[in-house]
Amino acid sequence: MLEYALKQERAKYHKLKFGTDLNQGEKKADVSEQVSNGPVESVTLENSPLVWKEGRQLLRQYLEEVGYTDTILDMRSKRVRSLLGRSLELNGAVEPSEGTPRAPPGPAGLSGGESLLVKQIEEQIKRNAAGKDGKERLGGSVLGQIPFLQNCEDEDSDEDDELDSVQHKKQRVKLPSKALVPEMEDEDEEDDSEDAINEFDFLGSGEDGEGAPDPRRCTVDGSPHELESRRVKLQGILADLRDVDGLPPKVTGPPPGTPQPRPHEGSFGFSSDVFIMDTIGGGEVSLGDLADLTVTNDNDLSCDLSDSKDAFKKTWNPKFTLRSHYDGIRSLAFHHSQSALLTASEDGTLKLWNLQKAVTAKKNAALDVEPIHAFRAHRGPVLAVAMGSNSEYCYSGGADACIHSWKIPDLSMDPYDGYDPSVLSHVLEGHGDAVWGLAFSPASQRLASCSADGTVRIWDPSSSSPACLCTFPTASEHGVPTSVAFTSTEPAHIVASFRSGDTVLYDLEAGGALLTLESRGSSGPTQINQVVSHPNQPLTITAHDDRGIRFLDNRTGKLVHSMVAHLDAVTCLAVDPNGAFLMSGSHDCSLRLWSLDNKTCVQEITAHRKKHEEAIHAVACHPSKALIASAGADALAKVFV
Amino acid sequence: MVMAEGTAVLRQNRPGTKYIQQNIRADFSNIDKILEPPEGQDEGVWKYEHLRQFCLELNGLAVKLQSECHPDTCTQMTATEQWIFLCAAHKTPKECPAIDYTRHTLDGAACLLNSNKYFPSSVSIKESSVAKLGSVCRRIYRIFSHAYFHHRQIFDEYENETFLCHRFTKFVMKYNLMSKDNLIVPILEEEVQNSVSGESEA
Repeated sequence: MLEYALKQERAKYHKLKFGTDLNQGEKKADVSEQVSNGPVESVTLENSPLVWKEGRQLLRQYLEEVGYTDTILDMRSKRVRSLLGRSLELNGAVEPSEGTPRAPPGPAGLSGGESLLVKQIEEQIKRNAAGKDGKERLGGSVLGQIPFLQNCEDEDSDEDDELDSVQHKKQRVKLPSKALVPEMEDEDEEDDSEDAINEFDFLGSGEDGEGAPDPRRCTVDGSPHELESRRVKLQGILADLRDVDGLPPKVTGPPPGTPQPRPHEGSFGFSSDVFIMDTIGGGEVSLGDLADLTVTNDNDLSCDLSDSKDAFKKTWNPKFTLRSHYDGIRSLAFHHSQSALLTASEDGTLKLWNLQKAVTAKKNAALDVEPIHAFRAHRGPVLAVAMGSNSEYCYSGGADACIHSWKIPDLSMDPYDGYDPSVLSHVLEGHGDAVWGLAFSPASQRLASCSADGTVRIWDPSSSSPACLCTFPTASEHGVPTSVAFTSTEPAHIVASFRSGDTVLYDLEAGGALLTLESRGSSGPTQINQVVSHPNQPLTITAHDDRGIRFLDNRTGKLVHSMVAHLDAVTCLAVDPNGAFLMSGSHDCSLRLWSLDNKTCVQEITAHRKKHEEAIHAVACHPSKALIASAGADALAKVFV
Repeated sequence: MVMAEGTAVLRQNRPGTKYIQQNIRADFSNIDKILEPPEGQDEGVWKYEHLRQFCLELNGLAVKLQSECHPDTCTQMTATEQWIFLCAAHKTPKECPAIDYTRHTLDGAACLLNSNKYFPSSVSIKESSVAKLGSVCRRIYRIFSHAYFHHRQIFDEYENETFLCHRFTKFVMKYNLMSKDNLIVPILEEEVQNSVSGESEA
């Protein structure tokens, strides 16, 4: 609403200016006519230098409006005069501009002033680029997308000192325009104006979500329409300008579903330039704040403490941050062959992430990934997830004691596709309390689950009729199980760990416990948080609350090795598919990689922030790619390469 | 929950989601207590945290709706006859069937509320981002209104378990996040009726 009022004010202000400006030159009149004709018509002008000039005109108008050009143009035109020796035309044009701060230079001075202006924009972009991220976003790629800048002749060489004062002015004048373009400030982070426009699409379409083309929709709230018309105009201008240079139009052509041209759209047409300028040149102020935030975040992520000279060592670096859950992520599972990941969270949902999409979407190394699908069916936190064979199905267990099986949708799906009810497959009921652990064995096509009700159950989760095959009651002897895993060397065995500190090997064919492994240790029982099986050797590895990790032999049951691994309880383990490395995560916020040859730590990564005494809940290794992931209580999942 | 990035000291002072969740668990019908911010709490952050909690709890309603709300029965997102809501999650607003609208809106809200770009810090909320909260509230509300007018039984069941629509309505009114004209579910009148008739909602 405030925006709307502001726009009206601007309209009046601009109308006044138009009144004074019309005396100046024909081009101005042209522009005002074009502007008042509405966005649709301006969009349809193609490959016309008039459109190009119109764009510049609008830019200039904006600049005047924010008082940007007041003294800058003066200085610049003086410079132009001195450097180029322009005579009467420029003089004639400049004087009025000196005399009347608001009046733009005349047609002759137009190109001079404008190219300077535009050059200045270029410089702004470069500054933004330098200020933000160093060399990555250098003007080149950005400028390539703003073709009208490149087409300006480079008349002047040295504008840096002007730019300093310009920036100060920019910051000053940013403030009044802030209220008008609150959302666009966020876009200032993007040097790429196209992306900025696309962000604006979000806003525009967001507002349109209230039903712009719907005739029944009440039109009391005028601002959505304003945004839409401005967006349309903006897109139109950019599309046309790109067309001028023969570049493929980067913005979609005719604006879809254009609302009926409103009578006072013309006067708002110029406001689109507000957005161009803000996205291109402005944002020094907001950028500073935001830049600090993002930079610190990334820097905190990885610190190599032990730099082993081992030839096999690979340093893992954070690549993706998966941000979409509302509450801590409890479990992770990788797709067996693709760069995709499933996360299960306490917020009751599972999300499927396609890491490939993140890479191709934005070239500016967007580390954030968005999920491609959300699985909703659990009531309450989802505690465990396991991937089925060939990653066609996956299974999730939750605090609601249900195990759901899901059909994994196509990885190339759009997150906003229609709902596919076949994704939700079966419910495996039977447990009486929260299901804390799940494991799937592709060899035997069996799912093992352990629950707070004190049982370990084996299921046949085949899609036709899933059934519970057997139940191991463990409560009496060992207590509540916390984790299960299939032993890789022996598919008919599973190993389960307990809160009491026991680890027990069960034989599925015999239907009973086989062996109790010596995981209790001399210091007494400590809860085991996770148990994993070595892929090649008959070795079981357990993660304990007493900060230690223990290695146990499956055949003899003896403790092979024990080590203090972390500063706080070790919560999760994962073994890499080759059996060379072990990953462990702990509530001390660190992820550690251990070489299984000599049981030494080869890398430590600090990931995740502590939330209420908990930090990392799960870690996972991709079965075939060099990807590892960690899941945290801070609702983030991080993927390292 | 997004932790305060790089401001570890302030983190301890911020009650955040857990505080809200504790109050809800204690007594979900005591809406005023749940909505009341603690001493010194930044209002923008408070609204943001609550909105996250609402979206989290709305998953439960969405799960229930999934079973009943099919694209062939509810082909559009409507509440009363007067309104058809277009889904804003697409490049151009689309007339999604109701279940799609619900899912897309919840997914879109998850992206927005968790995004680093709009909500980088959980210690303070930028002015520009506060405006987003209003639009999220508007769209979320439509899920309630569709459920109320078209899937009344599910709505009532869920409401009895969580008081979510009550709390949401009071929340948006308290912080002026939506205009009252949009609040079409007659929930508070019901509340008056219920208290008069002596029904207790545990």
